[in-house]
Amino acid sequence: MTGVWALLGAVAVVAVIGAVLRTRNGRVRAARPGVRLPAPVRALLDPNTHVTLLQVSTTFCATCRQTKALLEELAHRTEGLRHVELDVTDLPDVAAELGVLRAPTTLALDGTGAELLRVGGVPKRDSLIAALRPHLPGPIG
Amino acid sequence: MPKDAPVDPRGPRFSAWITTAVLAVVLLTGSWRLLAAQTVLFAMCAFISLKLNPWGHLYRYAVQPRITPTSEREEAGPLRFAQGVGFVFALIGTVGYASGLTALGVVATSAALVAALLNAALGLCLGCELYLLLRRHAPALARPQSTPSQ
Repeated sequence: MTGVWALLGAVAVVAVIGAVLRTRNGRVRAARPGVRLPAPVRALLDPNTHVTLLQVSTTFCATCRQTKALLEELAHRTEGLRHVELDVTDLPDVAAELGVLRAPTTLALDGTGAELLRVGGVPKRDSLIAALRPHLPGPIG
Repeated sequence: MPKDAPVDPRGPRFSAWITTAVLAVVLLTGSWRLLAAQTVLFAMCAFISLKLNPWGHLYRYAVQPRITPTSEREEAGPLRFAQGVGFVFALIGTVGYASGLTALGVVATSAALVAALLNAALGLCLGCELYLLLRRHAPALARPQSTPSQ
């Protein structure tokens, strides 16, 4: 009998996780306050670019390729926007300092390294464009 | 660890449904032998090759010819990592059921079932997305595969 309840419980947990992730996935969130950029991230910044999209990935990340394709395409079509990818599989301290717990997580950083916003999961193209608009000189995408 | 070629992403979803069914039967019957068999299967896929997964072969011979081909491919790295996470839970569950610690068996098997069902129903590999979280809070789960040769 315990097994039946455990089975029902597991199905309920899956439904809850699915619902939570559906609302959170790809949503643009506010910048995390008090983040000091670790050295490997600072090395990727370009002071002459308005916005750098830093994609934090791991070797085991199933949706990182899809995210990379989307962000690369966006950066390619947009003036002042760059896309860089950082694999933190073997840099857990970097992930911890950035406050990143899931991959992919994308951070938008300005030329000085200040975080503008972040997105967990595959970003939603339209809401990302809307959120980046105030930070870029021209049209996006 | 030998490297596996990228795969048709619908294959792992198909396998995940069968794994879900196996784990559901384990919960309903409390059979540690069945769970032990599943543990061995997880271990073979995670540590040797995904090609050893019998459900993958069943998919290729019985399902794939009947459905529209896709050019979509999924990297093998995340899939093998997921099998490794399944292996840890299934191993704990087997030890639980076999040693009479049924509660441990039920909890660990339920956790494995949640992961398998998330993969089957939603195409979501929770362990892959939360690898960083696992590495930070449960390094024992993440470390065995943290430096793959792939």
